[in-house]
Amino acid sequence: MSNIFTRNEPSQSDKAEPQKPVEPVAQAPVKHPSSPAMAQASAQLITPSPSPQPAKGVSLISRALKITGQLESSEDIQIEGEVEGDVRAAAVRVGAGAKVRGTVSGDEVELSGKVEGKIEARKVVLTGTAHMTGDIIHKDISIQSGAYVNGHLKPEYSKTENNG
Amino acid sequence: MFARAREIDTEQPPSRLGRALRVHGLVEMDGELTVDGTVLGRINALRLHLSAESRVEGDVVAQEVHVEGRFSGRIFAQHVVVESSAHITGRIFHNTVSVAQGARIDGRMPWRPPSYFSTLTQLPETRL
Repeated sequence: MSNIFTRNEPSQSDKAEPQKPVEPVAQAPVKHPSSPAMAQASAQLITPSPSPQPAKGVSLISRALKITGQLESSEDIQIEGEVEGDVRAAAVRVGAGAKVRGTVSGDEVELSGKVEGKIEARKVVLTGTAHMTGDIIHKDISIQSGAYVNGHLKPEYSKTENNG
Repeated sequence: MFARAREIDTEQPPSRLGRALRVHGLVEMDGELTVDGTVLGRINALRLHLSAESRVEGDVVAQEVHVEGRFSGRIFAQHVVVESSAHITGRIFHNTVSVAQGARIDGRMPWRPPSYFSTLTQLPETRL
């Protein structure tokens, strides 16, 4: 609710301000003691935070995206959507709500979502919301309480690395 | 509050296939998608942006397509914008199209009525 009010009021002050500039500048702050704060608040609401825009090399598979096939990247991939097929990247983050059916491999894999298949990574992190069905081949693994794992954990990553 | 947070969540992050990414297969997006990397196969999206570094081979189905990179295959879109850095081989099925000076297009650009694009969900299989 409060958002609606802070949104509307700055627009009113925006409309009001264009009439003011004719008058001396010194009077403006006196007439609208609250407007600078409001303007700041509205600026914070309107300008998008910088975080949602990922860097160019980083791939973001958002919730509405579904990929059937292989994904390969020499950089990071963040998956929030659905992938049917194999994923290979430097670091793979499978977000909560994401679903992967296939092999996820990389140097680091962080799983908060669902994977059916296999994980092959040097470092594997399963968070509390992770749901893993299948084997995990790793060198270094951490599993938070709450994670679901159905499969074998094999600390054999260095061996498979030589194969691939 | 929560409803608002959710709105942002589903609308804000535009999907991005990064520069280093190579996808082989079918990419389906219910929204806007930016491709900086390589896609071999088929892309379905609402709005598609193929950036200057992108390389796409196959079929693209969307309402709106911006092409700045290399493309080879078929584009099916009501609105197509070909930027000057684009390099296209193949066919562009469109209703409206604009081509910037400097763009390289090798192929045909058949015009189709808007109704044509609503029946595109069953596209003949992509040949690579």
